[in-house]
Amino acid sequence: MAAHPKSDLPQGTLDLLIMQVVVPEPMHGYAIAQRLKLLSRDVVQVTQGTLYPALHRLENRGFLSADWKPSDTGRDAKFYKLTRKGRAHLEAEAASWERLTGAIATILGAAKGEAS
Amino acid sequence: MTWWRRVFNRDSLESQLDVELRDHFDRLVRDFIAQGHTDSEARRLARLEFGGMDQVKEQCRDARGTRWVDETAQDVRYGLRGFRKNPGFTIVAIVTLAIGVGASLAIFNVFDALLLRPLPVSNASELITFTRWNGSNPSESFSYPQIRELADRRDLFASLCGIGTETVYVGPAESLEPAGALWVSGGYFNTLGIRAFAGRLLNASDDERGAPVAAVISHGYWRRRFGGDLNVIGRQLRIEGQQVPIVGITPAGFNGAAIGEPADITLAINAKPVLQPEDDSFVGPDARWILALARPAAGLPLEQLQARLDVVWADLLARTLPEGVSAETRKRILSTAIRIESGAAGASRLRRTLRSPLLAAMALVTLVLVIACVNVANLLLARGAGRAREVALRLALGAGRARIVRQRLIESIMLAVAGTALGVLVAWAGSVGLVGLIAERVAGRNQAQMFLDVAPNWRVLAVCALIVVTTTMLFGLVPALRASHVAPGAVANSTRVAESHTRFSAALIVAQVSLSLLLVMGAGLFTRSLHNLRTVDRGFAPGNVLLANYDPSRLALTPPQLQAFSQSILATVTELPGVGAASLAAITPLQGGGMSTDMIVNGVSTAPEEVYFNVIAPRFFEIVGTSLVAGRDLAATDTLNAPAVTVVNEAFVRTFLAGLPPLGQRVAYPGATREMAIVGVVKDAVYETLRAEPPPTIYMSYLQSRGRPMTIVADARAPMADVTAAIRGAVQPKVPASPMRIRTFAWQIEQSLFEARLMRMLTAIFGALALGLAAIGLYGLMSYNVALRTREIGVRLALGARPSLVIRMVLANAVRVVGLGVIIGLPLAWMASRAIAQLMFGVTPTDPITITTAVAILGSVGLAAAAIPARRAAAVDPVTSIYVE
Repeated sequence: MAAHPKSDLPQGTLDLLIMQVVVPEPMHGYAIAQRLKLLSRDVVQVTQGTLYPALHRLENRGFLSADWKPSDTGRDAKFYKLTRKGRAHLEAEAASWERLTGAIATILGAAKGEAS
Repeated sequence: MTWWRRVFNRDSLESQLDVELRDHFDRLVRDFIAQGHTDSEARRLARLEFGGMDQVKEQCRDARGTRWVDETAQDVRYGLRGFRKNPGFTIVAIVTLAIGVGASLAIFNVFDALLLRPLPVSNASELITFTRWNGSNPSESFSYPQIRELADRRDLFASLCGIGTETVYVGPAESLEPAGALWVSGGYFNTLGIRAFAGRLLNASDDERGAPVAAVISHGYWRRRFGGDLNVIGRQLRIEGQQVPIVGITPAGFNGAAIGEPADITLAINAKPVLQPEDDSFVGPDARWILALARPAAGLPLEQLQARLDVVWADLLARTLPEGVSAETRKRILSTAIRIESGAAGASRLRRTLRSPLLAAMALVTLVLVIACVNVANLLLARGAGRAREVALRLALGAGRARIVRQRLIESIMLAVAGTALGVLVAWAGSVGLVGLIAERVAGRNQAQMFLDVAPNWRVLAVCALIVVTTTMLFGLVPALRASHVAPGAVANSTRVAESHTRFSAALIVAQVSLSLLLVMGAGLFTRSLHNLRTVDRGFAPGNVLLANYDPSRLALTPPQLQAFSQSILATVTELPGVGAASLAAITPLQGGGMSTDMIVNGVSTAPEEVYFNVIAPRFFEIVGTSLVAGRDLAATDTLNAPAVTVVNEAFVRTFLAGLPPLGQRVAYPGATREMAIVGVVKDAVYETLRAEPPPTIYMSYLQSRGRPMTIVADARAPMADVTAAIRGAVQPKVPASPMRIRTFAWQIEQSLFEARLMRMLTAIFGALALGLAAIGLYGLMSYNVALRTREIGVRLALGARPSLVIRMVLANAVRVVGLGVIIGLPLAWMASRAIAQLMFGVTPTDPITITTAVAILGSVGLAAAAIPARRAAAVDPVTSIYVE
């Protein structure tokens, strides 16, 4: 499908991505999967066997809440939305992620600089 | 959603999951169709991308965090199904455990109530109690002056109090009823730090001499006697014929700080001479009858308290010395030491007597519990071996070993919980029965009832839980681990598994046999002890003798009046129909307690040796069956006007009159001017206990002594019940204020054998249980063996072996197992019985009769258990045996 090799997600990042995806509006599982695929330009592929357990885990921990609402297919679908607790968690996690990637990028950059 | 709601909403979660995933799948299909695929092609692609629906669901269930609950529920259901399918196994296992657990808990409960249960007061662990040590003789009793002196030492004790126990009679003269009374010093409730349930409690001013008498009643007594009527405060209660106001009620669940004694009514010690004038001396230095309980001064470590108390005590003893005691007695009293002990569980006299029998009983029941566990382990092993194929199949289908071990452990826990639950019922009945037994003993000794709170508490429940866990580990773990060690290949061949099972199982039975031998030998030794105690030459014969206690003290008679009163009682009883002969005595053998003092024999003091004495009427020896060796009995003519005379026993002659002709020798009390001449010598008779040699004893006539005879000793020639009624009818009206206590001499002797009877009963019950369990175990093992070897036996029989040979083969196997158990058990039994040697009488742990009998019993039980499987083996049909597998 894509020229890039598919990447495995580092531990815990899937939760972060899911929460980020549902920030604008409540979404059902399928939409979340499509959105992740779209936003990551097909680099990140999430199987149903990973996505749904992650959604349920987040729901159980109170970061997401879910409602059964009518959807475009005419049937009820389960819409996930970020809770206040989830938002706080997302911000904290995102900040820490940025710090980490920033640090890694700096180290990699410095190493490249030395090599050249 | 919270965790537990996830557990309980399992079904709705499942259907939601299904709808959610199906929705996702449908959308995939829709999108593929939108991309131009055909309907069936779109579905194929969707399935490809989605993956297995069931795998996804399974992963979602994992995320729920409730998987182990589901699996456990599955295991429980599976276990229940297994139990239902095999009710025989289930019932035997549960009942076996219930017996083991029930017996253990019953004993522990009593042990706990007597020795461990903290008083329901704040900071009970601070409380201390005291023991006086006179050489190696301990006593918990202090005199009232000693208690007051100790309580005044505010530098040592934040507060200290004394607790005496004596029954009082409540109600009008024609319907007196006994109530357990605590006589306490003023600091009692302050020391305990409890608040009144209603009204007020006693304080220091209630225990002043001359203070108005006030009664505090217990919550239980209030409920029992007054039906929980709160208007009772301020009402008068008739105690010992006097009106006493009830001022307060103690809180529910508090039964006084004297453990083992009822505390219906609490009164001040100084009220005792008011209510019971004859007991005036109880507040004096002579009477040591009060238990002490205290809280140490704040911040004073116990070692320091003990050290400072030692110093204070010597001084205090000298100040509280009774008047007119001999130099020897004085020296003995002054050498008494005082020791602090923990008083968290209250103060008690029962503890010292009952501690070792109860500890021994705990050891016994622990053995029974272990045997029960071993038995259940064996049952589980046999069951496990039968299920080896099933396990192999499950392993082959991908079940984890951990899962199989867990499933088996869950089964064990279910058995343990059911067994313990049933055991708690057994235990409760057992505890109540045991307390009843002890209470009978206490009642026999001092006329008070006994009270012991055996209501279950958290400590007992904790022991229950501990038992469940330990027993599960004991009987469940090994079978569970072994169950999982089945190679999947064993589906086809389970013989090898079964053989290794048999070896292990046989080892367990050997252990069981050794433990049973321990108990059976214990039962044998205690049976022999009891028999020895019953048949030992005690120097008297109980015959048809009745003992009737009467108490003239409330009549306030002068010594001459008392002698006339005693004479009239004796005359009345002698005249009664059905009474062959009658006499009087101050002390009857084995009633518990007695009187002793040092004396002057031919001008020389016997000190430090003491002489036991008794005050009797003529014909006492004849009635109780103690034979006269020399001289004459005391006679009705030995009055105050006649020369003072006495009768001594052979031990007295041996100890103090070596080589002298006993008759005519002179004996006197220390300090007394009048000497008594010995006119007769009687055979040695047991005095206080059957376990001790009869001590030197002298007998004085009630007509020449100030000691008061209190027991009518009558030889009954008619049915005991008739004679009892006749004596009560004739004598009770003469002592209206004090109910008489009448019992047979034989009963009194049996009562004195309480500890021996208790141990015999416990070992016999537990021994029988252990034997039964071992027999079941052996039977199971042998049956299993025979079943396993059916083919081999069939072949042997087909080749011409005679059935008797097959029987011998099976029996020999059983004998090997039992024999090994005996060989291991004997040295164990010797070691164990050495620990309880002091509870035995006249037998040694190596008693050959006991050992032979015990081994014979075990052998026959073993053979009997193996007989049925052996017969079954001999009846194997060679043809069908081939098709067994």
